Amino acid sequence: LKHGAGGTAMRDLVNETLAANFSDPADALVCLADMDDGAVVPIGDANLVVTTDTHVIDPPFFPGGDIGRLAVSGTVNDLAVMGATDVRGLTSAVVVEANYPVANLERIADSMAATCAEADAPVVTGDTKVMGNGELDGVIVNTAGVGIAEHVTPDAGLSPNDVVIVTDSVGEHGISLLAEREGIEFGSDLESDVKPLNGLLAAALETAGEGVTAMKDPTRMGLAGALNELARKSGVGIEIREERVPVTSDVKGTGEMLGLDPFQIANEGVAVLGVAPTAAEDVLTALRDHPKGTNAAAIGKAIDDHRGRVVLDTGIGNRYLREPASEPAPRIC
Amino acid sequence: MIMRMDGELVRMERATVRVTGVVQSVGFRPFIYRRAVDHDLRGTVRNLGDAGVRIELEGSVEGVDAFLADLRERSPPLASVETVRVDRESVVDPAFGTFEIVDSADGGSDAAGGGTIPPDTATCERCLADIRDPDSRYHDYWATSCVDCGPRFTVVESLPFDRPTSSMAAFPMCDACREEYEDPADRRYHAQTIACPNCGPTLRYGRFPVDTGTVDVSSTDSSAPAEGRDPFPDELDAPTDDRAAIESAAEALGRGETVVLKGIGGAHLACDATDADAVERLRKRTGRPAKPFAVMAPDAGAAASFVDLSETERAALESPRRPILLVERNRSRSPADSNGDDDRLASGIAPGLHTVGVMLPYSGVHHLLFDAIDGPLVMTSANHPGKPMLTANGPLVDGLADVADGALLHDRRIVARCDDTVARVVDGDRRLVRRSRGFTPVPVPLDLEGVEPGSTSVLGTGPELDVTAGVLHEGDCYLTQYIGDVDDLDTFAYFEDAVDHLLDVTGLECPSIIAHDSHPEFNTTDYASRLIADGTVDRSVAVQHHHAHAASVLAEHGRERAIALTLDGAGYGPDGTVWGGEVLDTSVANYERVAGLTPVPMPGGDRATRHPGRLTAGLLYANRTDTDAVERTLVRRDVPFPGGFEERNLVCQQLAAGVNTPATSSAGRFLDAVSALLGVCSERRYEGEPAMELEAVAAGGTAIDVDVPFARVDDRPAVDTPVLFDDLVELIEEGRPPADVAATAQAALARGLATLAVDAASNRNRDAVALTGGVAYNDRIATRIRERVTEAGLAFLGNERVPPGDGGIAYGQVAVATARASQE
Ligand SMILES: [Fe+3]
Ligand SMILES: [Mg+2]
Ligand SMILES: [Zn+2]
Ligand SMILES: [Zn+2]
Repeated sequence: LKHGAGGTAMRDLVNETLAANFSDPADALVCLADMDDGAVVPIGDANLVVTTDTHVIDPPFFPGGDIGRLAVSGTVNDLAVMGATDVRGLTSAVVVEANYPVANLERIADSMAATCAEADAPVVTGDTKVMGNGELDGVIVNTAGVGIAEHVTPDAGLSPNDVVIVTDSVGEHGISLLAEREGIEFGSDLESDVKPLNGLLAAALETAGEGVTAMKDPTRMGLAGALNELARKSGVGIEIREERVPVTSDVKGTGEMLGLDPFQIANEGVAVLGVAPTAAEDVLTALRDHPKGTNAAAIGKAIDDHRGRVVLDTGIGNRYLREPASEPAPRIC
Repeated sequence: MIMRMDGELVRMERATVRVTGVVQSVGFRPFIYRRAVDHDLRGTVRNLGDAGVRIELEGSVEGVDAFLADLRERSPPLASVETVRVDRESVVDPAFGTFEIVDSADGGSDAAGGGTIPPDTATCERCLADIRDPDSRYHDYWATSCVDCGPRFTVVESLPFDRPTSSMAAFPMCDACREEYEDPADRRYHAQTIACPNCGPTLRYGRFPVDTGTVDVSSTDSSAPAEGRDPFPDELDAPTDDRAAIESAAEALGRGETVVLKGIGGAHLACDATDADAVERLRKRTGRPAKPFAVMAPDAGAAASFVDLSETERAALESPRRPILLVERNRSRSPADSNGDDDRLASGIAPGLHTVGVMLPYSGVHHLLFDAIDGPLVMTSANHPGKPMLTANGPLVDGLADVADGALLHDRRIVARCDDTVARVVDGDRRLVRRSRGFTPVPVPLDLEGVEPGSTSVLGTGPELDVTAGVLHEGDCYLTQYIGDVDDLDTFAYFEDAVDHLLDVTGLECPSIIAHDSHPEFNTTDYASRLIADGTVDRSVAVQHHHAHAASVLAEHGRERAIALTLDGAGYGPDGTVWGGEVLDTSVANYERVAGLTPVPMPGGDRATRHPGRLTAGLLYANRTDTDAVERTLVRRDVPFPGGFEERNLVCQQLAAGVNTPATSSAGRFLDAVSALLGVCSERRYEGEPAMELEAVAAGGTAIDVDVPFARVDDRPAVDTPVLFDDLVELIEEGRPPADVAATAQAALARGLATLAVDAASNRNRDAVALTGGVAYNDRIATRIRERVTEAGLAFLGNERVPPGDGGIAYGQVAVATARASQE
């Protein structure tokens, strides 16, 4: 299950080989070493949020989306979960294999344009490179983005008792993509729910302002990865009630039958929020009133115990919810 | 010198005797006192702490001879004499006028000289006679005990073992008890748990209201009182005398009700084992649809009405440790015709198994209950699924009111939980399944060649399921009680408490090295990292699961090297695959994987363990490239999947795509796959179920002679399990009876693995083959492997003192870490 899943092994690799070789600007609030969704660089009184992501995805077209929609949503969401829901500009760099079908390229461009419109995020500059046949597999899209955050919501922002909210059901993106890639057919029409979330998250921030203490994009490492990062970086424990986490019956059923945990599967189009207890009710209402947040749910809270860990209450007992490993190792004997 | 005694001339001698072994807190010094007085000897006996006991004697040569003979042959039941060193000289000036028990150097009582706490043991014959004797002040008193028996480990807070450091502190001795306690000639001399109806713990019975509805299932023992008595919850009846409380409980059991029985180190849920409805109700209410229930029979004779007992089995049942012994049902009732209940045991006790777990009474409450009840009782531990057993009165009532109809509780606090020990006699030898009550905390020696005892101290954390932890100190490995599956966080918290309690009752410092399983995601692995991170220990050592199994056998036998067959359900392999059918050429410090089983895909990972039909699919697919044949066979053999045909189809697609299909060479998983193929078991409802039910079916069959297929995997020889599996499918389709096919599968697996082990031994010039891992509990497989190994002129080694299953892993981890540390 190496594909797509980042896994702890990858995080270590990036930490060791990349982050170590760059020195962060002294005045950056959130930077590479934090391994957050984006960087925050103060300019005057404003917090400039910058992020970039390179997208290689197999397959580039999948049920519910494509690499173009994914590239725009990914960067918009990285900005939004740092608090920069007002996207000032995106860049787009496309690298294609020489014989890549033009029709596909057009589909990708159209999809990017439509997603930008949906997110109200303009592409302000771009670049295209063509490489020889076999030098890459089809197409690669890089997007970068900038935005201004009035209130920064870093991964390290959680305090004990903060309520943890997830904006949508988890796992659809990862499972549908896996099925498409591996040619597995289910008896259902699962599809990716990849989407830009800046509008939805703006609604939460408008309602609660600083009451929103942390936000995170549970992408490659799934909900489990996002929660573990929040817990680790915030120095708190997180307690989650399994039954409260929205999972569609298709994802649940398919996940079960493949032996995959929906909490450890990639998402694009879902955000995790930490909200001060007093603001939780209002934020939940605001999210649910938004068309992209109708499934939002409070799934648990930050706690003092079990620091750096995520405790999953399964209804029968508690266990630790772990980050997905690059190679899942069976544990039952 | 020659002295005149009773008118005769007698030569006088002085003897200085040093005794080591388990000689603390087991009534050893009173025993010495009585033997000395009997043989007309004078002198002293004193505790030397860890160094044992020193005796000085003066008297006749014959008296000293007789004393020394008694010392070796008649020592108290809980004592275990390891060495006796005697210096004798003749004396001119007798130094002693009487024989005395001298307080230890540090001024403490019998146990204060150091050493360890003994284990809990069953009520001894003499205490039982006191209970039965209408003239005894202990008549009908359930909590009587003496230096030879009673609770120890479960009532002690810390060393030294003394009344004030135990939960008996809440029961001040009455005058009569104190008199016996202080009389060296009494067998309750310095018995810290001495108690009588006037001063000791009391019993109360209460019936739970029907349909309480307000039960907090998550209740744990956190509300247990930290000191004093364990208070009776309001739900219980007003105090009566203890005998009446026991009779109320017996009546309830007689009506088919379920009763919570608080015992020594925990509590049981009990019901009439001959009442099928009562057993069924207990299964429903506890959410244990299939897990075998243990039964308690009044005595071995009564047990013999429903099980066949060998001499070894009877002796094990009757030993003061009182384990639950897994024994075969009477031959007259093979599983094939055992669907109907009979008056001896309800069929729901151990569904689908040919064995049943039996134990005999080990506390006064049990004995008194059986005065009122003839038949065997179900005695299953009082816990919620996956959770530690409840031990305190409040949680027992709150947590079990929806499960039981009443409770018989006492007010002595249980300091340390201790589950029942479980054992099975396999191929004539006792194998421990769980090493707990009756054993904990007696250490298991760990003598490694070339390792100076005391050169290292090591904590072994065990694996994740069936965990026991262990601490090495001065060549002895102290093991915790059975802890359970620490993936559950309450059980993991119990693990941490159990390690702390073990250090408390052994007086050991936290070790400097921590050994753990090499699985990166076990909670016991995290625990090791945490202890490293906070500086509690200096170093951690990751030990591969099967190397730990193998090292446990080597260390028990004091062997440096052997070929080891490590056969179990699963262990993390360094190559990222799941091991469990391994032939290792192993020393204590290092190992090499030299042969084993062909790896097969495990579609869905852990889900395949829960639903073994998926493994059937994996074995069928392993040698193929298309899934059509696989699916056809699954359909033809009617192998069920929880998600029906949809899941069957998805599993086949999953195999073809290689999505989440980790490879496994596990012997346990192979047996699971056969079990599902034969329609014996397609859902695992408790650990080991599919393979155990396969063994039960195979017990009624005869193995068919088949050629065992071999292959080479990564240039190592392997039993070609996919080919063997195809052969089994063929046998079924030829119409061979399932029992014969089941027997064939076990026999072929055993023969194949034994052949690989014997070949490895001859190629590498090793003289012994060890068998360990959970598959070693399978009688047929173990018997066949031993036959083959001994026929080849090799020594056969098995686990005798720690479980071959995962309860022995900690001991093996400690051995590996110790051996490695000594090589540096
Ligand atoms: Fe094992
Ligand atoms: Mg991201
Ligand atoms: Zn006794
Ligand atoms: Zn008394």
